[in-house]
Amino acid sequence: MNSIIAVFHQYSKTSSNLIDPQGIVLLCSDLDVSRTDITILMLAWKMKAEKQGYFTQEEWTRGLMALRADTLDKLRKALPELEKEVRTPSNFADFYAYTFRYSLTEKEQESIDIETICQLLDIVVGSTFRPQVDYFVEYLKIQNDYKVINMDQWMGFYRFCNEISFPDMSEYNPGPAWPLLLNNFVEWIRDKQA
Amino acid sequence: MSNQKKRNFQIEAFKHRVVVDPKYADKTWQILERAIHQIYNQDASGLSFEELYRNAYNMVLHKFGDKLYTGFIATMTAHLKDKSKLIEAAQGGSFLEELNKKWNEHNKALEMIRDILMYMDRTYIESTKKPHVHPMGLSLWRDNVVHSPKIHSRLLNTLLDLVHKERTGEVIDRGLVRNVTKMFMDLGESVYQDDFEKPFLDASSEFYKVESQEFIESCDCGDYLKKAEKRLTEEIDRVGHYLDAKSEDKITSVVEKEMIANHMQRLVLMENSGLVTMLLNDKYEDLGRMYNLFRRVTNGLATVRDVMTSHLREMGKQLVTDPEKSKDPVEFNASNSSFEYFINLNARSPEFISLFVDDKLRKGLKGIADADVEVVLDKVMMLFRYLQEKDVFEKYYKQHLAKRLLSGKTVSDDAEKSLIVKLKTECGYQFTSKLEGMFTDMKTSEDTMRGFYGSHPELSEGPTLIVQVLTTGSWPTQPAVPCNLPAEVSVLCEKFRSYYLGTHTGRRLSWQTNMGTADIKAIFGKGQKHELNVSTFQMCVLMLFNNSDRLSYKEIEQATEIPAPDLKRCLQSLACVKGKNVIKKEPMSKDIGEEDLFCVNDKFTSKFYKVKIGTVVAQKETEPEKQETRQRVEEDRKPQIEAAIVRIMKSRKILDHNNIIAEVTKQLQPRFLANPTEIKKRIESLIERDFLERDNTDRKLYRYLA
Repeated sequence: MNSIIAVFHQYSKTSSNLIDPQGIVLLCSDLDVSRTDITILMLAWKMKAEKQGYFTQEEWTRGLMALRADTLDKLRKALPELEKEVRTPSNFADFYAYTFRYSLTEKEQESIDIETICQLLDIVVGSTFRPQVDYFVEYLKIQNDYKVINMDQWMGFYRFCNEISFPDMSEYNPGPAWPLLLNNFVEWIRDKQA
Repeated sequence: MSNQKKRNFQIEAFKHRVVVDPKYADKTWQILERAIHQIYNQDASGLSFEELYRNAYNMVLHKFGDKLYTGFIATMTAHLKDKSKLIEAAQGGSFLEELNKKWNEHNKALEMIRDILMYMDRTYIESTKKPHVHPMGLSLWRDNVVHSPKIHSRLLNTLLDLVHKERTGEVIDRGLVRNVTKMFMDLGESVYQDDFEKPFLDASSEFYKVESQEFIESCDCGDYLKKAEKRLTEEIDRVGHYLDAKSEDKITSVVEKEMIANHMQRLVLMENSGLVTMLLNDKYEDLGRMYNLFRRVTNGLATVRDVMTSHLREMGKQLVTDPEKSKDPVEFNASNSSFEYFINLNARSPEFISLFVDDKLRKGLKGIADADVEVVLDKVMMLFRYLQEKDVFEKYYKQHLAKRLLSGKTVSDDAEKSLIVKLKTECGYQFTSKLEGMFTDMKTSEDTMRGFYGSHPELSEGPTLIVQVLTTGSWPTQPAVPCNLPAEVSVLCEKFRSYYLGTHTGRRLSWQTNMGTADIKAIFGKGQKHELNVSTFQMCVLMLFNNSDRLSYKEIEQATEIPAPDLKRCLQSLACVKGKNVIKKEPMSKDIGEEDLFCVNDKFTSKFYKVKIGTVVAQKETEPEKQETRQRVEEDRKPQIEAAIVRIMKSRKILDHNNIIAEVTKQLQPRFLANPTEIKKRIESLIERDFLERDNTDRKLYRYLA
């Protein structure tokens, strides 16, 4: 326990007792992980971190204890296991939802702007659903109906990737089950294919 | 994004961390290449779209777009070359089927490949401006399969062969042909046109050339037309079933040209079965067919019209020469609309019918018994009933009648009056009131002349003046033409004028020098004596030679003050017509030039004592004259249309547009066929002048304004 806190202090700011964005940069460097890698998000999820860019001592401790890592070295070695754990179907859905909430920076904020969403999509599901993400990102950029995305639409996309075969999308049935955004998206693709 | 936000967790553009290894590119490409093979071999079910997409994506991302693109083209080309060989090897009937099958396979494969390479399509190709995957795939098919030497001509010949078979009665697989022509269209309109349509049209042209020749040697007109119609319908059907819609006009033109245009004259004039026979035997269906077919080709209807016209004239002539025949009603049995079609097809029918009557009334009916005269006139009336433009007829009739009356050339007063009575019965008093007025004027003038000479006994010596006083409204209007009358004549004219105005104060007289005639006694060089019947203009010119031996054109023009076109025509008739050249012209050319010199032709001879040189016979109008008459008719129609509109609106008070058109047309139908556009114009004019108004809510409704 003490070593966990010791590691914490290596990165935290004394005045606030938080690891702030600068600290995270250092942490990533030491862990040999890119700041923009999905790994750091997975770590945040494991810690159940609340505020993007910051780790509290409590969150840090929770995370590292769950990973059974009390040194930086052990933490580094635990990362591949963490990824496997996150990528199990049941966890991934939760993780996917978490990344959205984690990106809400203001208190009453409920949606995220298009540009951020595009980046987030790329990081979170770009490697698993490359074509869907490519198409969806292109669509989001050219459409004019929505300037921000909410949680319902965010989750809708995940369901779309999992349930609908791409690019034929033969099982897709526009209806109350799907957010309007996705209906428009599908229609746009169909127009392109024609 | 504002700097205020505490967004320290800046998410940068996702940077791939995979090391760029050239071997990586080769490996990735191999995966894709294998996939393309599998797709072409119909073995794609085991492939993961997502994986292939990602591989292509990665290649492009790592700047291997070039390799991917060229690889795609090379692989597809190789496959298409293979397919091509398979198609070439197909025997006989299965050739087209094989081609079609491979085409469908290619399209499916192309779609899948395009989806996999979508990222390259959107990024690499966009920036390098190379052809996109789908169009590229079509071009490769076109170049490697359709244009492959062993397939190209075989394909075309197979298609043309099938069309030929169908034309000769065999049943073919239309669906198959449609797929192939659709393939051409998908490859590009120019491919369809160059590789198929043009040769198709050429072959069709040949086919119909031969066929039409066969038919015309062996069929009569009616049958030929039936066959032509059938072929036309067939070709349209053919296009609908397996050609591109744009080919319809082109192939129908070919059929029309080969089957109709090239044989028009021969068909219409065919002995015992052509147009004339059809008319005589009431072959209305055939006539209708001829009309519909000939209407499609340039000059088709003109050809028909011309034959019709000469036929009508022939018939007319025959009537006169063979009074027995004229009693046969079958000849004129034209109680059907196709006859009406034809008669009104020729815009000159009203003119021609009037000319026919004119001819009869001048000399044709000479010596024929009254009863027979009646028959001829009845037949004229029958024709008249079919005319849609009766007012045009009236105009011409008036002109011709005027000329007849004034030149004293009508052969039978009774015949004239009889026809007018018939017209009156047919069309009502208004139609003939002016014509009757013309007769009245002639009679009144006779009385006036008697009165004139009665009160001027001293004038019985010297030239005799006969004046016809015409009431302006009844006669066809002509502008008064200036003309200096010779002294002897003008003195007489003045005396008449004062006499007339003495008894008819308040009237105005103007001399119509372009309508008069004169009889002159002339003595020529060798003492030949002749009495010349000439027009007033000609008289003015001739009288000048009493005082001069030679005159130039300019001198004549100055002395007579006759306007140039009339003067030229006048001089031409005096100097250039064989047998009537009382004047000699230098030079001896046919046209009158302003430098010409004239003198009396002392060598003039004629068998007859009385020589007629006048130019007052009614003739077929020249083109500009026709236009003028047409214009005048149009002008006259306007007030008639307006009167009809006002009459109708006055009684109905409110009426909608379509009904007005219908009613007006009906009312005017005895006189002419009113043009709906013209009626609309008149309505608008009446609205402007506050006779009518448009309803505020319903724009199509009109209201009469009291």
